[in-house]
Amino acid sequence: MKLYVKAISTYRSDRESLDIKKELKRKYKLDTRRQDSFIHLSVFGAQRLKESAEIKKDDELFLTSGVGNIDVIARTNLAVIEKGEFIKPFDFINMLGNTTSYYVATSLGVQGKNIFDISDSFPVLNSLILIYSSLFHSKKEALFGSIDLISESEELIRRVMGIAMDMPVVSSVNYQKLSLQNSDALAELEFSAHSYSKEELLEIVNRNTERTIYKSMRCKEFPFQANDKFFATDASYFINYAISNKEDILYIDFFEGRYKILKVSNL
Amino acid sequence: MADIKILNYALQSAQGNLQNTIHAIKNSSLSIASKRVVMQDEDIEIPYFLLKNRVEDNFKEIYKALKDVVQESISGLDDIQKQKTALLLGTSLVDANLVKAVESTLYEYKKTPYYSQKRSIDSFGKDLAQELGLNSFTMTISTACTSSVNALLEAKNLILSETFEYVIVVGVEISSDMMSNGFSSMKLLSNDAQKPFDIARDGLVLGEGIASILIGKGDAPWSIRSGYSNCHSVNITSVSPSGQEYVEVMQKAMQEGGLTQNDITLLKAHATSTPTNDLSEMNAIAEVFDPSLDFTALKPYTGHTLGACGVLELAILIGTIEDGFIPKTIGHTVSINRDYIPLLEHKAFNGNGIFMLNYFGFGGNNTSLIIQRELT
Repeated sequence: MKLYVKAISTYRSDRESLDIKKELKRKYKLDTRRQDSFIHLSVFGAQRLKESAEIKKDDELFLTSGVGNIDVIARTNLAVIEKGEFIKPFDFINMLGNTTSYYVATSLGVQGKNIFDISDSFPVLNSLILIYSSLFHSKKEALFGSIDLISESEELIRRVMGIAMDMPVVSSVNYQKLSLQNSDALAELEFSAHSYSKEELLEIVNRNTERTIYKSMRCKEFPFQANDKFFATDASYFINYAISNKEDILYIDFFEGRYKILKVSNL
Repeated sequence: MADIKILNYALQSAQGNLQNTIHAIKNSSLSIASKRVVMQDEDIEIPYFLLKNRVEDNFKEIYKALKDVVQESISGLDDIQKQKTALLLGTSLVDANLVKAVESTLYEYKKTPYYSQKRSIDSFGKDLAQELGLNSFTMTISTACTSSVNALLEAKNLILSETFEYVIVVGVEISSDMMSNGFSSMKLLSNDAQKPFDIARDGLVLGEGIASILIGKGDAPWSIRSGYSNCHSVNITSVSPSGQEYVEVMQKAMQEGGLTQNDITLLKAHATSTPTNDLSEMNAIAEVFDPSLDFTALKPYTGHTLGACGVLELAILIGTIEDGFIPKTIGHTVSINRDYIPLLEHKAFNGNGIFMLNYFGFGGNNTSLIIQRELT
């Protein structure tokens, strides 16, 4: 399967020091009321993408995340279950995954398909498969956002991510504009629905010696470079990193003993 | 478009399994429970369609109930076919795993030693795939009340692109205090009963439900003809009173299927029984169809099962038609549009037909699905 990247945007909280909410109001003149940090981060990434991407009203929007908006669950759990309080309507609405998608779509002016999805194993690579299949049918283009927000308690995010207690974590948002057509594309993404064993992966690695190889921080095997801080959707970050640095890469994702790969080739 | 067939389906609702649910609908012998919810000034008891086989709001119990339904739907697949079957789950469920992690991290009296395991709402799908021998590709789609119907449309795309041969689409919604209190806070719940498109409608009744539908390129009388979804509303919870946003999905679904309004045998309305959404949907129906349209609502039989209603109501509609009838709309007395009155008696039906199913949710997610029955 192949998809073509027409535009990208990236933000990592350890690389840029920004007050996202203020930036949404100051730079993008957006109303941030009734939203929370997860929604702000998602909208911010989308607005950055809009600076370089042609956005069409019927573009399909797909958002994914390692875990979603966990802080709002913590807040409402504390209010409803622990304190027996009345839930605030907008906290309730913000608990729904597609609330974030709504605010992103509204800020971009898109009104097409809008999907918020989560995969336990390979959130970014499985989303790409879903997007490929959707575009195969609709012949439209897609906007794809991957969002991970550190919760107010870093321990909480580590507990649900399946990582060590001392692993550094970071907030991040990455977007791509994707198409089945390669005209005016920045890069080609190649991926498949298959997952591989360690032996099968080694064969693939040996056939791709011309590419720089990166891996997920979940992958303890192999001496390839990984991110220095964890976020569940770092496959999306590496797409943008490869394009920004004009580097053709092979990215290895890993979950519970199986590997998936993503090739990024600059055009 | 190649025919994507509906190969099998199963469900659990407040009325029981598929057979029990059809029997309860046919004979208007409905079971309904109640639940206490927190209101601003007082706690009140509200009607609630809780599953007949009670399921507690924890991962273990929900997983077991899900497994029973999914197993039933894939019973016709051999081991090789199962390996070619992806699983998509649609839900707006508050993730029990996250709640547990929140409690064991943030509350001193519930604090547990650090233990980390990747868990998300998709863990249900991942564990089911592993245990039942399905392909490891699982995803969970969360688009409020359109979650599982949108999962069904994405599943159809996965088959059309030849990524998978089969997809099992699962919808699940189990009662949680956060969800019922949340709907209560928005003043969307009826203290009485659902009255679809009725001048006296005063809100929805929540329901629990689990349903699964297996689709693929096999041989079966039911197929997915077309479908369309958008994200279009005037605010986070409502579309315009004219229902233009709903008109768009209904018309585009028909356009994709090469159909006109005269081809539609029956419309299964979303019909939440809330004052604003029923008005918008009725106005949209009146713009797209003429008054001779047969339409009905299923939520009075099972409650509003939120993210599960996409596949649950689809399974119920197919099941009742297979049983020879289209269900009447109960709870309806006087229509908000005198020219458009839903079916008030069960209608005998044994032939071929094309059926539109509407689903609308918070966050501007609107979906119209069209299925077809062709008996050989």
